Amino acid sequence: MLLARLRTIAVDLDDTLNNFTQTLHETPFVYHNRYALEPALFDEYLDRLRTDPWAVEELLSTEFSYFRAKIHLECYQRAQARADGIAFMQWLKREGWRTVICTHRDLRTSYDTTKAWLERNEIPFDYIFRAGNKIVFCKLWGIDILVDDHLFNIQHGGRYGVRVFYPVNDLNRTVREDGARGFQTFDQIKSWIAE
Amino acid sequence: MDRRVALIKEFYLGLPTDRVKLEASAFGFEFLSQLQAHGMQLEYGELTLSKVLHKYKLANITQTQMYELLAWHVAKLCNVCLYFDRRANSVLAFNLDNNHATNGSRLIPEVQLAVRTLVEKLNELDCKPLVIASGRGYHIWCRLRAAIANDRLYRFMLHTAAGALLTLQRRGLDPNNMKFTLYPDLRIQDLVSLRLFGSEHAKNQVFSRILVGDDLLDEEASWAYFEDYLESNTLALDTFDKAYDAVVTSATPVIAKAS
Repeated sequence: MLLARLRTIAVDLDDTLNNFTQTLHETPFVYHNRYALEPALFDEYLDRLRTDPWAVEELLSTEFSYFRAKIHLECYQRAQARADGIAFMQWLKREGWRTVICTHRDLRTSYDTTKAWLERNEIPFDYIFRAGNKIVFCKLWGIDILVDDHLFNIQHGGRYGVRVFYPVNDLNRTVREDGARGFQTFDQIKSWIAE
Repeated sequence: MDRRVALIKEFYLGLPTDRVKLEASAFGFEFLSQLQAHGMQLEYGELTLSKVLHKYKLANITQTQMYELLAWHVAKLCNVCLYFDRRANSVLAFNLDNNHATNGSRLIPEVQLAVRTLVEKLNELDCKPLVIASGRGYHIWCRLRAAIANDRLYRFMLHTAAGALLTLQRRGLDPNNMKFTLYPDLRIQDLVSLRLFGSEHAKNQVFSRILVGDDLLDEEASWAYFEDYLESNTLALDTFDKAYDAVVTSATPVIAKAS
């Protein structure tokens, strides 16, 4: 009965609770042999990564995908947490919400880094999940609120009964919403989830 | 205890049993509460893109709970995937997968040839392998009578795998079409797990059939073969040492010369 009464919210990490893209673009990554690449390829791959960080390739495991995983991992460590995001997550905890960190990250390789980052920033959470499709995940797990910046979720969440709240950024500023609401500060969500 | 559970326990003896990756169609907070009620700890979960398959990285598992999970495994309620010991192991595995993002369960020529080459090479070294269909390719296992340091196992696998990749190139096939992972791999040993024999693949509901020659055995024959393999083909350490010398030690001067 207690489980049924708990309200649950799913919250994304990258470009929602942190500044992942800014970190990817502004960090002065320096060539090192741990990338297992020729120096010329390092620059080429870094440019490619910054142009299209989530490019889908035909092959799953490639030299580029290996490089991308390494750079992303560095970004996960370096990214800054949003102060209002931290305060919001702490508020959720105090209010008795069950919180699920819901991310696209490959947690096999990034779980330790992700957990350490959350703890370092004093962001409370109950579970961490990787979901290829967050709308499907939320629907299956009975989670009706998702905080996430991704266009796909903003556009499709409402149709499946998932209310999506998103930090407004250059990519989603003009998106046609389906019941989703953009926010400037996490504080705005508090009143929306009380509705 | 179920005979099949006992066989699996025996085969994979030495792999850590305090942590596991569980692949299951079961999900929900109530399911998690059941897992956690007895002290199991969820590190993270995952919902995969294809079909509704959940994966749970669980830690702090007791022996009793591991027996229960293995019972679920052979009952086809979930897949149990185990991690390798951080220092030494008495099993090693080559994991050969189709590397394509789409239609990844298709058996491609690169995987077929690499499996055939590896099996021939291992047989030639008196290290008869156990080959199990994995869903995207094959897992090729060898089992030893005692644990061997991971760096020694890894060097042996690396050299053997290099031979298989060379064969692909000589036949005009592109090794990039195939993903080749070695277990235990010193760089990723705490990160990746391998599904055990004896269950249905949670994603495609196909039993983990054993490949003998060019034939995939059915479920019953696979269990019989697995039992027989366990009894008859576990490698003595001196057999592995000879194989290691043949593949690694004798190859070193050639590599040194080439470089």
